[in-house]
Amino acid sequence: MVGIMPLDDVTVLDLTHYTAGPFATRILSDYGANVIKIERPETGDPARMLPPFYEDKPGLERSGLFLWLNTNKRSITIDLKKDEGRDLVLELVKHSQILVENFSPGTMDALGLSPAKLLEANPKLIITSLSNYGQTGPYRDYIGNELNLYGMGGSMIGAGNIDHEPLKTAGRMVNYHAGYVAALASALGLYTVEERDELGDHIDVSIFETASHSIDMRLNRLMGYQYTGRLAGRQSQASAVGSGVHPCADGYFLITGGARFIPNIIRMIGMDELLDQEEWSTPEGRAHPDRIDEFLPHLIPWTLSRTKEEIRKEAEKHAVLGGPMNTIEDLMNNEQFIDRGYFQEIDHPETGPIKYPGYHFTLHRDEDQPMPDRKRAPLLGEHSEEILQEIGLSKSDIETLKKKSVI
Amino acid sequence: MVSNNSKSLPLDGLRILDLTVVWAGPYATQIFGDWGAEIIRVESIKHFPATTRGMVMRPTKEMVSQKGSLSAYPDRDPGERPWNRTASFNAHARNKKSMTVDMTKPEGQKVFDELLKISDVVIENNVPVSMDRINVNWERVSNVNPKIVMLRMPGFGLDGPYEDYRTFGSHMAGVVGHYSVMGYQGELADMTGNTLTADAAGGAGAALALAAGIRYRNHNDKGIFIEIATAENFANYLGDHILNYTVNNRLASPMGNRDISNAPQGVYQCTGEDRWIAISINSDKQWKSLCNLIGSPELAKDSEYSNAAQRRSLHDTIDQLIEAWSKGMDAHKAMRALQAEGIPAGVVMNEQDAFSDPHLEENGFWETLEGDETGKYQYASTLWKTVLTDRSHKRAAPRLGEDNEYVYKELLGFDEDKYAEFEAAGHIGMDYDI
Repeated sequence: MVGIMPLDDVTVLDLTHYTAGPFATRILSDYGANVIKIERPETGDPARMLPPFYEDKPGLERSGLFLWLNTNKRSITIDLKKDEGRDLVLELVKHSQILVENFSPGTMDALGLSPAKLLEANPKLIITSLSNYGQTGPYRDYIGNELNLYGMGGSMIGAGNIDHEPLKTAGRMVNYHAGYVAALASALGLYTVEERDELGDHIDVSIFETASHSIDMRLNRLMGYQYTGRLAGRQSQASAVGSGVHPCADGYFLITGGARFIPNIIRMIGMDELLDQEEWSTPEGRAHPDRIDEFLPHLIPWTLSRTKEEIRKEAEKHAVLGGPMNTIEDLMNNEQFIDRGYFQEIDHPETGPIKYPGYHFTLHRDEDQPMPDRKRAPLLGEHSEEILQEIGLSKSDIETLKKKSVI
Repeated sequence: MVSNNSKSLPLDGLRILDLTVVWAGPYATQIFGDWGAEIIRVESIKHFPATTRGMVMRPTKEMVSQKGSLSAYPDRDPGERPWNRTASFNAHARNKKSMTVDMTKPEGQKVFDELLKISDVVIENNVPVSMDRINVNWERVSNVNPKIVMLRMPGFGLDGPYEDYRTFGSHMAGVVGHYSVMGYQGELADMTGNTLTADAAGGAGAALALAAGIRYRNHNDKGIFIEIATAENFANYLGDHILNYTVNNRLASPMGNRDISNAPQGVYQCTGEDRWIAISINSDKQWKSLCNLIGSPELAKDSEYSNAAQRRSLHDTIDQLIEAWSKGMDAHKAMRALQAEGIPAGVVMNEQDAFSDPHLEENGFWETLEGDETGKYQYASTLWKTVLTDRSHKRAAPRLGEDNEYVYKELLGFDEDKYAEFEAAGHIGMDYDI
């Protein structure tokens, strides 16, 4: 029975590792799903050995990246290469509604866990395969990573300045976005099974295709190119009065908006009388390129004597489109995020309490129940026994599996 | 709740009232519409929403000659009804319906109530104050239909000091710190409107929230209200950097396309205009293969370059060597040659590349649709593939008010007289009347 969270009674069998896959299963756990993370014995998910490490000391339970991507999950170690390991997965599948994996295409088949085998064990299972390029196609076996997947996915050609090379987004966004889509696809797959009383299905999510399909200017530009025959490329520096990145007392502030907003910017810096001058009194006059440089000696002293947050408040007051160029530290101290209780502090045996980014969403329930706290990431194999007992294995069964190094 | 879309799609039968604008919200409804949900855009001929059906209602010749998809109209001609011909709307609005109603009037509010009663979901991503003006909030919608699922996507949250802060994706990215780590080394990049990952993240996140909300509703037999603040959602995409700060108090600086572990990594020029190959060396083995490929085999044996840390300190030199090779290569040829050696490499693809890409072609990424006031064009198919489901699109983007007759007469039971009345009163139409 669905209780507090929408996916309370859903079990996700998680065969993912590294970043994109675990991002997908983590967000399903945020919505309440019971995520069983299957890891390799001894070494576990390779992401456990990715930096940043707590105190810069590597260790299986010290990777900040792993800890963040795997909150709320339970860990069981299974050697998938062994027959008994494979059989264990097929048994767990019977108690799950969703299975997510992000091995390179062909791996699951080679492990004896093809979609056919999985659906034989549970005909209502939703199997979500997440890979760099998809399960089929000429690029299927290409090597992919954040940079070339973003480049090929296409939004990159439009990112950055026209005077420079195309520029990648920060961190692992392309990977995470594909993970988000994999979670979404799994949820819709589940809807099909439950609401339309249909059999399970195999879902194919590709990082290359989710990037190619992205609304973040890619879809728009694909349409625009068909309409005009022109490649969008990268933009040059902003060319309207007041627009651009401006230095301020504690960093930088970005103002955008174009011609319509110029009077608002002028009023924001208290130069209303400028609008009475001939060249400044009409849209055509204000649009003349000379105005851009003429305006800077008025604008920059104003921004330099104010903090990012002060400028932001003034911008909001005067309907000027702009935003502070915050650092991550600014973000962690931002009054809006703090007011909303966004950041979550979670304790952990190795790191002690550390802060994590918060929920992607807020559920407002009638009873005004607060969102539940997230639980820390699991230690390697922490829940092996617990999970196996849940599916009916006896203590001696479990001992046998341990002796055979299956778990 | 019957729909006009194909009966073989998973979300057939689900009806969504769509009050979304710009891109983040529309992306969520695009995803749901692609999979069969009936998406009814609730629009108004009395109100032109910002950056949704074009930057302006009637762009000038000068505006449509500018570069960029926001100024793109078929053959650079805005036509009689430019709001039906704008690229950035038509890209996402396939499979959706459009009706018009003026919700600033009491009878318009009644129409909205009637729509709420027969719908499963209502979704919006407007500045909160504009929804207050037309009384679109959880209290109202749940009173009318206690089983409705409501999704609201404010920029920063429905409460808090930023609740009225109006931003575009670029500013929001600045607030959450993206531009402190995305940028050219030693420079401030111009970040105006180039890549708006927050919108894509918002759309995908909203769609997932809808799926979760609908499940909650179906199992608990009551509605639910979900809020996704786009900034909170997107901040998670910076998780790497946030953890770097919370774990070790470290702030990264922009490194251009370089990487903290992989060296070399970057984007290198190829033959032709604005043609680039992205290359990332993730192992010493890949480094050796690269050396042989670019005609510098001696470097493969040179101990000065043997590990990533060393290569990072010699990055500028290595970049020059790579570019000396790539400058004479066609980007696609370079990609094939590098991938053949097991090196992660890829063409930085432009629009032309996408339409002629053999992988996208073979995987059925494209579909052709014909729009009434635009013509035949290619559209990206669904966001993912399934084995069992038919995924074909049903129609191109709706013209403004395209489905007024269907919504008012078939769904709401208006007769001819009442329909004419609402036309006269400025609710029903296909042309803006501002």
